[in-house]
Amino acid sequence: MQGSDVKVVFALLIINKAGGLIYNRTFAPGLQKLDSNDYLILAGTFHGIHAISRSINPAPASPPPLPGHRKTPTTGIESVESSHFRMTCFQTSTGVKFLLFTSPEQPNTDTVVRRCYEIYGDYVIKNPFYSMEMPIRVEKFDRALGGYLVRP
Amino acid sequence: MSVYAFYIFDRHTECIYSKHWTNQQPTNGAIPAAALTSAAATRKANQAADNAKLIFGTVFSLRRMVRQLGGQDDLFLAYRTGEYKLHYYETATQLKLVMLTDTRVGNLRTVLHQIWATLYVEYVVKSPLSPIEHPKGVGVANELFEGGLESFIVG
Repeated sequence: MQGSDVKVVFALLIINKAGGLIYNRTFAPGLQKLDSNDYLILAGTFHGIHAISRSINPAPASPPPLPGHRKTPTTGIESVESSHFRMTCFQTSTGVKFLLFTSPEQPNTDTVVRRCYEIYGDYVIKNPFYSMEMPIRVEKFDRALGGYLVRP
Repeated sequence: MSVYAFYIFDRHTECIYSKHWTNQQPTNGAIPAAALTSAAATRKANQAADNAKLIFGTVFSLRRMVRQLGGQDDLFLAYRTGEYKLHYYETATQLKLVMLTDTRVGNLRTVLHQIWATLYVEYVVKSPLSPIEHPKGVGVANELFEGGLESFIVG
């Protein structure tokens, strides 16, 4: 498969807090081509799995938090590894999930996905014409992401 | 490295073996295990069965998702959350081995393969007393397999 020996970002998906896909973009070939309906199903499925993965936590319970401190919330899936790609998931505190598909060799994926969140904050959330939870159609966001993730 | 749990699922999606290693104290230490009523014991057993089903569902969906995105020859290996990591290995007969560990563990695919090849095949498949299929886990949790797994994991 092309891209298995190069460090490369394949795609970025953004899922809103209800499990709907609001952004979907491919940056490099390497993943199978899916139609938009399959991507919607995939986003919804992952949203469910993410919630389940929090409830099957087998780790021993952490000590109760100190008075005045909040209990650290359990995170769901943070990364999924397969033989062809790695998926890094970053959930914001408002429940939006960023899924970054990279090659397994790509380092610092959590930094990359956080930078995508910053770009989202700058160009999508600060855009007065964007309505929350709706698909993202913001040209500046596309351009900024492209500048960051597409290789020249 | 600490191992939390180990599961085997057969090709009929049934959990045929599960084992937990916990070093945690019971949260309400006042109640000794012997005082558990039968109702509480049933609830606990149901909870364990439900947990196994949730794990199977998660693994099944992720495996399908990985195949859809990476192609038919792509293999789902592991996922990680902030608290634990789940490792997955599937044999050609669609036997699924799942292991839950802490997050500081690398790739355990070879370890799971080894459990399958040196313990499951040797002590379960080659056992003359074991049925071919294992409905409700019949014949899997025999003495040799249990002992071998325990010494393999605990060391």
